[in-house]
Amino acid sequence: MKTKRIALDAVLTALALSVFIIEQQIPLPIPVPGVKLGLSNVVTLFALFAVSPLDALLILSLRIGIGNVFAGSVTGLIFSAAGGLLCYVTELILYKFLTDRQIWVCGVFGAIAHGVGQIFAAVGVSATAEIFIYLPVLILCGIVTGALTGSLAQVSVIKLKKVFPFLPFRRKKEEKQN
Amino acid sequence: MIKTKIWVIVISLILTVSAALSVIIFTLPKKNVVAIYSDGELLREIDLSEVAEPYTFKVEHGDGFNEILVERGRIRVSFADCPDRCCVNYGWYYGGASPVVCIPHKLVIKAVNSQKDDFDVVTG
Repeated sequence: MKTKRIALDAVLTALALSVFIIEQQIPLPIPVPGVKLGLSNVVTLFALFAVSPLDALLILSLRIGIGNVFAGSVTGLIFSAAGGLLCYVTELILYKFLTDRQIWVCGVFGAIAHGVGQIFAAVGVSATAEIFIYLPVLILCGIVTGALTGSLAQVSVIKLKKVFPFLPFRRKKEEKQN
Repeated sequence: MIKTKIWVIVISLILTVSAALSVIIFTLPKKNVVAIYSDGELLREIDLSEVAEPYTFKVEHGDGFNEILVERGRIRVSFADCPDRCCVNYGWYYGGASPVVCIPHKLVIKAVNSQKDDFDVVTG
């Protein structure tokens, strides 16, 4: 069981890293600093709901650390870390209140939290309070992208639990519902 | 468990409020004088209404740089070697409430108040 879990975490980390790096190559025509699709959050959400919160944190930190060392910058690391951690904490709190069919809600609030974390990091780094004015735009984009990535994670969790029943996925919540 | 319906209502509320605020922010009145900051330091102030000929200048930061183009009434980052090019994608800046920011190079172009502004309001 333990080996399976390590292998699963490794695969998910590799997946998150690939998505993270591919996403950086996709330019978004929105002139607001920090707006992105947040596709790698799909993997974090998946790990949170299908494996465990600890595994999700592990995958998230590894992705932020390795991803920014190989394909980012020091400032990128600060923003990813600030946004990612706030996003994780929010998702962890919501995780207790949500079923597998409400994962998209987690995606929405996670994306909002990511935007808020990034804005605070940006204001801290550049010492420009005017950046706060982008907060409503970031929240708006976060709701849209978060609903998309959250739904993606939701479909993956529900389908993959059925297709790969031998993997160390947690199925506590489903049992409770049934 | 909280019902999905309640989540939808909460998210719609946040969506509406942030959309309204975004619209308000992008339609706030514009100012004539913009200031360019690098790493928190004021580099120069430009009165966009008094620019006769378009000109460009470079702002260096570490190994990187941003090239800024100034025309009458508007300013933009025309070229930059930062990783995300967010500042270039911003396009023209006319002195509105949303500043041009290049986070990797810590460059900010924002509208500032000047005494000239008040004078313009009185005469104009």
